[in-house]
Amino acid sequence: MDDGPFIKVDSVTKRYNMGHSTVNALNGMDLEIEEGEMVAIMGPSGSGKTTLLNMIGGLDSPDSGTIHIKGMEISSLNEGQRAQFRKNNVGFIFQFFNLIPSLTALENVLVPVMFDKDPPFERGVQLLERMGLKDRMGHIPGKLSGGERQRVAIARALINDPMLILADEPTGNIDSETAREIVSLFKELNDEGKTMLLATHDRIVAGRARSMIKVRDGHVVKGKAHSRSGMVHLSDEEKVKKKKRVVKG
Amino acid sequence: MDRPMFNPATYSMSHLVKERTRSLTMIVTISLTVAFLLLTSSLLFGVINEIGTSEKQGLLQGSIPGSIDMFETFQLDSELSERARNSLINYLMITSLIVFLVAFFIMYNTMAIAVKERRKEIGILRAVGFSTGEILKIFLVEGAMIGMISWIAALFLGTPFIVNLAAYLIERGDGGIFFVQPVIPPQLIAISLAVTLGLSLGSTYMAIIKPIRSSPVALMRTRI
Repeated sequence: MDDGPFIKVDSVTKRYNMGHSTVNALNGMDLEIEEGEMVAIMGPSGSGKTTLLNMIGGLDSPDSGTIHIKGMEISSLNEGQRAQFRKNNVGFIFQFFNLIPSLTALENVLVPVMFDKDPPFERGVQLLERMGLKDRMGHIPGKLSGGERQRVAIARALINDPMLILADEPTGNIDSETAREIVSLFKELNDEGKTMLLATHDRIVAGRARSMIKVRDGHVVKGKAHSRSGMVHLSDEEKVKKKKRVVKG
Repeated sequence: MDRPMFNPATYSMSHLVKERTRSLTMIVTISLTVAFLLLTSSLLFGVINEIGTSEKQGLLQGSIPGSIDMFETFQLDSELSERARNSLINYLMITSLIVFLVAFFIMYNTMAIAVKERRKEIGILRAVGFSTGEILKIFLVEGAMIGMISWIAALFLGTPFIVNLAAYLIERGDGGIFFVQPVIPPQLIAISLAVTLGLSLGSTYMAIIKPIRSSPVALMRTRI
């Protein structure tokens, strides 16, 4: 349908009113990500990582600029259309897992398909088995460890077989050993063709991603150059620096 | 592993069970309200029924030739009873309305607190792709379940209680509020169901409609 990049973020701005002050969460963000990439988004707290993920995942809409996912402009969708887009195309993984405490692990995995005529129960079971939670399916989140909860959240994110997985600090609330296992799982999913965006502070997580971008003050300040296609993703700032070097030369 | 029953109805049910104290509060509130409304309505029907019967008897007596005095007395009684009936009907209706509004207020507040505590859950549901309509459906199913349980409780516990208490007090000769025999016609049962569902669904809708339209990001940021 479209030969352009899988994700195209074009001059996106987002401001939040925090009491009497206004915070510029995204400040003319430009970004392009190819299909099948595994990109780590790094940056200090408040740099705009989470806001960027929320925009790409259709959880929020930009004040200005456009976001295209596989050629579809999601920034202009209304709330109902965005909900449908999220359900069919995006799997979210959060730092604090965001599981529903009263439901069992299996029920949490099946939540996104609850209204389906024939919910894919077997798929839910298979996903939990894959996550190593075969014996924990009937447990509520309160009875699971942090790592197990995150695995349930990953299984939930995969229940609709989304093309895009967005993880916001996925290892921020688990021990380093479990974090390594979770990242290995992400690598597996990426090898299966899922496009993955990971917002993280963790250098180990970022180091295992195929590409890395650094975000500061609401825009990309550095893009590391190794994508599958061999295409180099450079931020605007780097493009300007490169241009200056060429001019000087 | 057995295939679990997991659909919006079981989801709502699991919440009602988990929040059983709150659910019970709402059920008791609605049950008492409906039982009270049934009581006032049954008395209303009782008054209408009794006056209707006495009017028929009076007309029969008044139509006997040569009994003009009797007829005049009946007319006077009839005017008095008409006024008494109207004021009684007004009293019962105003009392019922006040009770209904108080119950609605209690229900709305209880539901609003429940929704506030579940803002994060609503945010999660929105994040995984639920539309506002689907979330509204979940909450309305919960409201309807509370309404139905309350109605059944009011009907099967409240109605026999009213009838038996009335029979006992009237037989004892001191009817108290049961100055007439209460009458519960079939249409009153249907009306009570509509009132109960109106009370539970209306208060649920009012409590949920604003939060579910909030941004999923803002909802998930809620700290409980």
